[in-house]
Amino acid sequence: MRVSRGEVFGLLGPNGAGKTTLVKIMMTVVRPTRAKGTVLGRRIGHKPTLRRIGYLPEDHRFPAYLTGREVLEYYAALSKVPRRTRKRRAAELLSAVGMTDWSDTRIAAYSKGMCQRVGLAQALMHDPELIVLDEPTDGLDPIGRRDVRAMLSHLRDEGRTVFINSHILSEVEMVCDRVAILNEGKVVRQGTLEYLTSRRLYDIEPDVPEISAAADVVRSALSTEPAEAVTVAGGVIRVAGVDAAGVQPAIDALRARGIVIRSFGPVRQSLEELFIETVSDGAKPGAPANTPPAPEAAS
Amino acid sequence: MTQTLAIFHDAYRALRARKMFWIVLGISGFVVLIFACLGVGDDGITFLFWELGPAGTWFVEPSEFYKFLFQMLGIKIWLSLVATVLALISTAGIFPALLAKGAVDLVVSRPISRFRLFLTQYAAGLLFVSLQVGVFCGASFLVIGLRGKVWEWGLFLAVPIVVCFFSYLFCVCALLGVLTRSTLVSLLLTMLFWVVLFMFNTSDQTVLFFRAKMEAEQEWRQVQIDAMEARAQARLRPAEKTTDHDRLRTLISERDDAAKTVRTLEKVHRIITISKTFLPKTADTINLLEYALIEAAHLRVGETQFLPNQARPSDEMLTVTASAETDREMRSRSTWWVIGTSLAFEGVVLGIGAWVFSRRDF
Repeated sequence: MRVSRGEVFGLLGPNGAGKTTLVKIMMTVVRPTRAKGTVLGRRIGHKPTLRRIGYLPEDHRFPAYLTGREVLEYYAALSKVPRRTRKRRAAELLSAVGMTDWSDTRIAAYSKGMCQRVGLAQALMHDPELIVLDEPTDGLDPIGRRDVRAMLSHLRDEGRTVFINSHILSEVEMVCDRVAILNEGKVVRQGTLEYLTSRRLYDIEPDVPEISAAADVVRSALSTEPAEAVTVAGGVIRVAGVDAAGVQPAIDALRARGIVIRSFGPVRQSLEELFIETVSDGAKPGAPANTPPAPEAAS
Repeated sequence: MTQTLAIFHDAYRALRARKMFWIVLGISGFVVLIFACLGVGDDGITFLFWELGPAGTWFVEPSEFYKFLFQMLGIKIWLSLVATVLALISTAGIFPALLAKGAVDLVVSRPISRFRLFLTQYAAGLLFVSLQVGVFCGASFLVIGLRGKVWEWGLFLAVPIVVCFFSYLFCVCALLGVLTRSTLVSLLLTMLFWVVLFMFNTSDQTVLFFRAKMEAEQEWRQVQIDAMEARAQARLRPAEKTTDHDRLRTLISERDDAAKTVRTLEKVHRIITISKTFLPKTADTINLLEYALIEAAHLRVGETQFLPNQARPSDEMLTVTASAETDREMRSRSTWWVIGTSLAFEGVVLGIGAWVFSRRDF
């Protein structure tokens, strides 16, 4: 798995896939039996590097006797942020997450959504280069989620790297540049959303009175693919399991028979469809992950 | 340093947020108030306007009276018993709270080693007792200064000694907190550990006392035996000789039996002493304060000397002699043995706790 600097990266996977464990290993909360990798150019587990990483754990719990402002200042102090900077950043971030009015109220009086907002703010207090968020929109209402998305976009614009672990696929789809799907502890898919969701399904709409004959032409052209890879729905032939280059022989065969093609193009799967396909039977752990090269040096 | 100060500050805020902190502080104030109400004048001890007893300044100096009161009521009953139980109740939750799901991730994911985090949290836990004892000693210092006209800076020795005493128990509580993550379990097991220490200490003093008592009686017997043997050598009259002879045989038989018991008690005491060497010495540590504050000369009972033909000493007399001997032996124990070996125990327990904390996955 590679996460590039300045991108918003989403980690997906079914329950028990090891997403939170992976995040906890990165954040030294869990000691790995065996782990190879670097975070911000340093080996995983390098404590001083954590100063450059902001972290929002899943189901976090702040001391109930602290106020929102005190929470931010306390955790920032643990990240070695100087006193003056702590004061300034706390005020800025409380405003950014819409908690200024509640900043001097004890956490005990906060709702889950408010705790989540403060949690996001504490992850940003020490001006981190990498922000690791485990279920960042958990407990937030739609407005809160929108605010978080805006904040993530803003962080990306600032050149920060955001690593999100989330179950909410629609959220991930909206904010992430790239995603990885983890299943049983292995990365089974990784890439940009566009790449992952559009590459394996194509619709061909020929201008013919008898669609089944055209489908037979496609099947014979793609004889190496399983027969069920070509299906017909309405006036459209759908080819599954091939990439853009792989579907070209079918187009050529139709054209060679003088069949006019009205439209041809990739069918984009929803992230949910891709996810379900991947974790159910699409890609088994141990199989090589379909991974395009990362755009730049890994974080 | 920023991190350490943050942890201390947070610990202070956590304590301040607990009702127990204020309850203990309030009772401390109440105990000091009782000090202030007690007085010693020419006619006797007074409580506000009431006379409590005849022992006046002719019997005890006001400064000694207040120091004795501070030691017996303030330290032995309040700080090293009641306040310690309350402090353990207050601080037993520190490590379970640190390790609670959702809270621990936020802390261990910081650029601070777990070892340091554990030790700093531990030190922060001692803050509770430091504050309580500090406030108590400060107030007692003022009361003794104003009422007893003696500004006894030695009272502040109570701060390191009581904190040291508390730390023996708190290190066990911290280890149990890390192992079990349960406030209740760690608190109850720490109390149980304290009871075990108390039993060791009581056994130590009891065996020492009985040994001293038997040795005193032995000393009396030996004086009588020596006198009788001397008389026998001087060829006294046969009748007297016969009477002495029977008595001598009885005394020798008693002496030999008692000598066996003394040897057994010595063995038992040696075992207890060796066991105590590896355990924290709570009572001995608190006693150090008494030894520092109250001169042994003020308490020492004159050494008992038995005379030939002296009647068998009464039980009260033997008890006084044995108590004095026990006190002398307790005072003779080196500070290194009392504090050093206890801190060594604490170091081992903290080392295990820090190791478990450092290795654990959360």
